[in-house]
Amino acid sequence: MSRLTVRELTKVYATNPAVQDFNLDVVEGEFVSLLGPSGCGKTTTLRCIAGLEIPTNGRIRFGDRDVTRLPPEKRDIGMVFQSYALFPHMRVAENISFGLEMRGLSGREARSKVDAVIDMVQLGGLHERYPRQLSGGQQQRVALARALVVEPALLLLDEPLANLDAKLRDEMRVFIRSLQQRIGITTLYVTHDQVEAMIMSDRIVVMFAGRIHQVGAPREIYHQPATRDVAGFIGQSNLFAGKVVAREDACMVVETAVGLIRCKGPLGFAVGATGHVMVRPEALRLARPNGGFAGRMTEQHFLGNLVDCRVTLADGTAISVQATGEEISRPGDEVGLLVDESRAWLLP
Amino acid sequence: MRRKCSGVPLRRWLFAAPALVLVTVFIAAPYLNIVVMSLRSPSNVQTFGPGFTLQNYVRVLSDRLYLGLLGDTLIYAAVTVAFSLLLAYPVALHLARTQSRWRGLLYAAVLSPLLTGVVIRCFGWIVLLATQGIVNDGLRQLGFGPIQFLYQPVGVIIALVHVFLPFMILPIMNAVEAIDPRLEEAARTLGASRATVFRRVILPLSMPGVQSGIILVFVLAASAYVIPMLLGGGRVQTMATVIVQQLLGGFLWPFGAALALVLSAAVALLLVGFALITKRAMRRLA
Repeated sequence: MSRLTVRELTKVYATNPAVQDFNLDVVEGEFVSLLGPSGCGKTTTLRCIAGLEIPTNGRIRFGDRDVTRLPPEKRDIGMVFQSYALFPHMRVAENISFGLEMRGLSGREARSKVDAVIDMVQLGGLHERYPRQLSGGQQQRVALARALVVEPALLLLDEPLANLDAKLRDEMRVFIRSLQQRIGITTLYVTHDQVEAMIMSDRIVVMFAGRIHQVGAPREIYHQPATRDVAGFIGQSNLFAGKVVAREDACMVVETAVGLIRCKGPLGFAVGATGHVMVRPEALRLARPNGGFAGRMTEQHFLGNLVDCRVTLADGTAISVQATGEEISRPGDEVGLLVDESRAWLLP
Repeated sequence: MRRKCSGVPLRRWLFAAPALVLVTVFIAAPYLNIVVMSLRSPSNVQTFGPGFTLQNYVRVLSDRLYLGLLGDTLIYAAVTVAFSLLLAYPVALHLARTQSRWRGLLYAAVLSPLLTGVVIRCFGWIVLLATQGIVNDGLRQLGFGPIQFLYQPVGVIIALVHVFLPFMILPIMNAVEAIDPRLEEAARTLGASRATVFRRVILPLSMPGVQSGIILVFVLAASAYVIPMLLGGGRVQTMATVIVQQLLGGFLWPFGAALALVLSAAVALLLVGFALITKRAMRRLA
């Protein structure tokens, strides 16, 4: 059974819909990210699930318990806020034991739970500090410990790494993910950082303007995006507008302005349908001028392990290509572009 | 090099000079004058007699009448503080957290006691609280006999609370506004009800505002003159009304000065004590 079920969730502020028709099932122990640009409704969705916002419409269930109308304190959740929201007038140990105390737990049992979780987030020896005496990374760990110590049914994280510097952020991604796997807690994670979502999640929910565009594993989201918005938001992509002219088993042949491209795509594209072929920069290969699509190299940026190239095709479209470095073409040279058909994907 | 080093502090002193002159001329000098006056010997024919004496202080501190008066004044101030705190906290909490578009209006309403002169407000209260006044009319309708508000401590305290309420509301409001609403949400997600969030998060974090409000209202109420004078009608005496009687009625300047300084010292002592008691709680919030 799903640990979390969200059905037709809608939240409207005044007249602006922030979230529309949101459906999601999260299974026990799964790590799911809500990914999207700011204002896409991901935080509103999380706040509805936490009980901090009352949905305009829809239902939310934890297991078989309908929590749609329950206040946050009755939901049995743990939440980490972007600003950490540590209680400034309480010491680290008091912050962490707050949730235990609310559950009527005190004394030795509470202390041993606090000690265990402090060890788990590697904050040993900081029990008696006040939050203001801690670094950003340490505060983050206290917030995590405070949410985890009550062993909630669901862990909710709202951009918890946004206020950390880049190096610490990389560290904490791996730390949070491995901690989550070790204790097996069902987790919902809000972020606008696609790399973060890719690294940490079992599945990603990609949202734009209050609506879900795609739900899938990181590989699926990257290689088989459902919409142009998803393709553009996650990684770099080249799009060729065209029309399906033939279907052969799993493959389709699409006629574009620059020529025929063979690609894969979802079911539902009949012959005659229009769409866009998406090709990631690393799925393109540079060749001699007479091989593949003809174009001219316009820019080249050396990145060390690869070279980032810009190629302008005959019809004027600019294409980015990531080459591994042994190519000899220079800006201004005529080149040919070869498409890796297995990694070209058709989308609406 | 040397010139440059000494130049900066000098310039800083120059900037501070106007404020320094103002403080010296209008606060320090008069206070010093009062201190000197309180040490002069009393005289029936002049402002003060020849030589210096501690006799004025001895008289204030050994006379039951004046000590009782001091006690009354401090009790009125404390009761005023207690009632304004009770009335102010919910208002401050609401003002700090409301999203209403009437917020500006509410804010103006809170400040309104400060917008008219204190004498006008006192006459307003006299009209309202008189035996034949609106308040007693209302009470009669409900079957209560007329209550003597005027010329009693209760009337004085009602007016004191009204006038000094903004000085309690504003600091508490500022303190509550400074509390991150995410703290309340975090507490809720951890299992705390609204009431518990108030008790464990909002109340302790708003204590610096409560502390400021208590100090402000206590000082203002202990030294109020016009309100006890008008609403007390001579039958409610405080240190302030008696001091003015000594100065203007009796022309006993040295004794009046001693009374004033005893009041100041008592208030200062109480505030130091209050600050010490609340220090521990405040340090957690620093």
